Amino acid sequence: MFVDARQLPQDMEVDADICIIGAGAAGITMARALSGGNRRIAVFESGGFDFDVDTQNLYAGDVIGYSYTPIDRDRLRFLGGSTNHWQGSCRPFDAFDLDDWPIGLDVLEPYYRQAQQVCQLGPYSYDPQQWVDAEARPISASSADSLKSSLFQYSPPTRFGTVYRDELAAAGNLTVYLHANLVAIDTNEAASSVTGVEIACLTGRRFRARARHYVLATGGIENVRLLLNSNRVQKSGLGNGNDLVGRYFMDHVYVPKAATVLADVSSPEVRFYDHHLVRGHPIEGFFTASDELRRTKQMPPFYIGFRVPTTALAELGVDRLPAPIRGLLGEGVAQNIEYYYSRTTSSLQLPAKWLYEKMWRTPPGTFVTCYCSGPNPDPQSRVTLSNTVDVLGLRQTQLDWRLPSDFEQDMHRAHEQLAQLLGRSGVGRLRIESSATGYDPMQDVVNAHHHMGTTRMHDDPRYGVVDRDCRIHGIGNLFVAGSSVFPSYACDDPTMTIVALALRLSDHLKSLTS
Amino acid sequence: MSYTRRYLLTCLGYASGLGVGLRPAALAAAASAPDDAAAVLRLLLDDRARARALGASYRAHCPAESDPAVLTRLILAAVAPHGGGQRPLRRELLLPAFDRCVRDEFGAGSTVRLDGWILARTEARLCALCE
Repeated sequence: MFVDARQLPQDMEVDADICIIGAGAAGITMARALSGGNRRIAVFESGGFDFDVDTQNLYAGDVIGYSYTPIDRDRLRFLGGSTNHWQGSCRPFDAFDLDDWPIGLDVLEPYYRQAQQVCQLGPYSYDPQQWVDAEARPISASSADSLKSSLFQYSPPTRFGTVYRDELAAAGNLTVYLHANLVAIDTNEAASSVTGVEIACLTGRRFRARARHYVLATGGIENVRLLLNSNRVQKSGLGNGNDLVGRYFMDHVYVPKAATVLADVSSPEVRFYDHHLVRGHPIEGFFTASDELRRTKQMPPFYIGFRVPTTALAELGVDRLPAPIRGLLGEGVAQNIEYYYSRTTSSLQLPAKWLYEKMWRTPPGTFVTCYCSGPNPDPQSRVTLSNTVDVLGLRQTQLDWRLPSDFEQDMHRAHEQLAQLLGRSGVGRLRIESSATGYDPMQDVVNAHHHMGTTRMHDDPRYGVVDRDCRIHGIGNLFVAGSSVFPSYACDDPTMTIVALALRLSDHLKSLTS
Repeated sequence: MSYTRRYLLTCLGYASGLGVGLRPAALAAAASAPDDAAAVLRLLLDDRARARALGASYRAHCPAESDPAVLTRLILAAVAPHGGGQRPLRRELLLPAFDRCVRDEFGAGSTVRLDGWILARTEARLCALCE
């Protein structure tokens, strides 16, 4: 059931077996997986059922490193979290993507198969040859090629807070508290066990919750904020004895126009790389490093996709209203418009693209490439606390996102390989854009809104914040769910892996509470 | 029969712009393989000014190949390496031969970058013929 925490008595205490903080993809997945048995599950969600400016503003923080989307605009803070505006691309990690993880694909794959259903995807198959039809097929690459074709499947996209809302309402032994913000995690004197959490509403109401086990599932920046702010016992922040909480912040680096491609638009070998339906399931092909290139780590994980030019520019588009309009509308209205704009464009990706093509008469056969890369984890790329305090008394975050110096060079190398593949297969020709060609792609580099790595997983507490069971080292009953536990990443959208890990953690907690 | 620059350009569609100069046999060859490199090449060269610009860039890049006769000889040697320059090569065979040559060059990494475009060396030479 759902409870509006603002209506609860002041200073009451919620008692549960498992307490989950955050109701995004990870939190809702765990709530669904854990409910229905004898365990009492309590979920605390900062927002309500819909977007609210005051709640959203709790995400506010500073960006001090490479240019990055304002933090309070990068995630959504209400039931369903950022699944309320994700675009839905899904793909499981490959085995070599997990080389730096303490768990392998053999462990994750059963959960990926379940995640496939949670995300409302087609059959669990990511072999391009399984997605060939008369209209579209991948370019055949030889073993000598440095690139291969792969594909994303697309979720509808699943809005977790909408799709699973009725199920959460009806589930036994599950209570979802809305408008309930975690403001402190209390531990025993040795900081080895969580003894309770403090919850606050924006209306001023406060109460506590106690459970046997606690799960932080609030995202890759907010998880860090909550741990570092919980410093009553461990002064450097909870779980931060080795100064690792917040380090290794990772996001995909996205370049919406890296190269221009001329190719025959009617060719099945081009259409495979456009968003299309196969047996009723939406997929999109892309190019990525060959297995050999990835195994030998000669290149970071990346993908290259095709886009019609106007759509690529639209991706840069109106994600923030101009200042004069914001002033005219007021900040709250402006943020609401921006939210609904982002949600609408992600839902209308295909119709919007069609419209752009019709409106702007894009020359047939002209594409641009988008390049998305996951540079190696960097400990200097990190989330810390600023000295600004929010309305609930928590220090805000500051983000220092770093890009490797060889990023542009790697992007060009990848495109040189693609140019050779397109030429050898007779599919097209490619022009690498640079300042010398009149358009410098680096001027439009953006983050992909995927916050990862800040509570990274490692069996050794000197190198990781959580262990292979996602338990924070040194604390017996505090776990982390979500992409902040990724010690490394692939080029894929993290949602499917977030869901898979949440399902696995749910199984682990079931075993601890059975 | 000797192969002149004009003959090559006519066969491959450059003489009067994009694809317009292609003779029926060459058009038929292209139509039968719509996704081959030659068809794509026509897209690339739809803009004759761009082809000329690329050609000028190549000649600047390789001044030793500025002479049309040298370029023609090099292109023919690549397209018909087994004596194509000595015996008659029918127009309808030239396009697929050129296509094969270009694909092979991409496969072997024999490419050049002109104004950002990555082209097979022989097609870059062909652009250089397009003065």
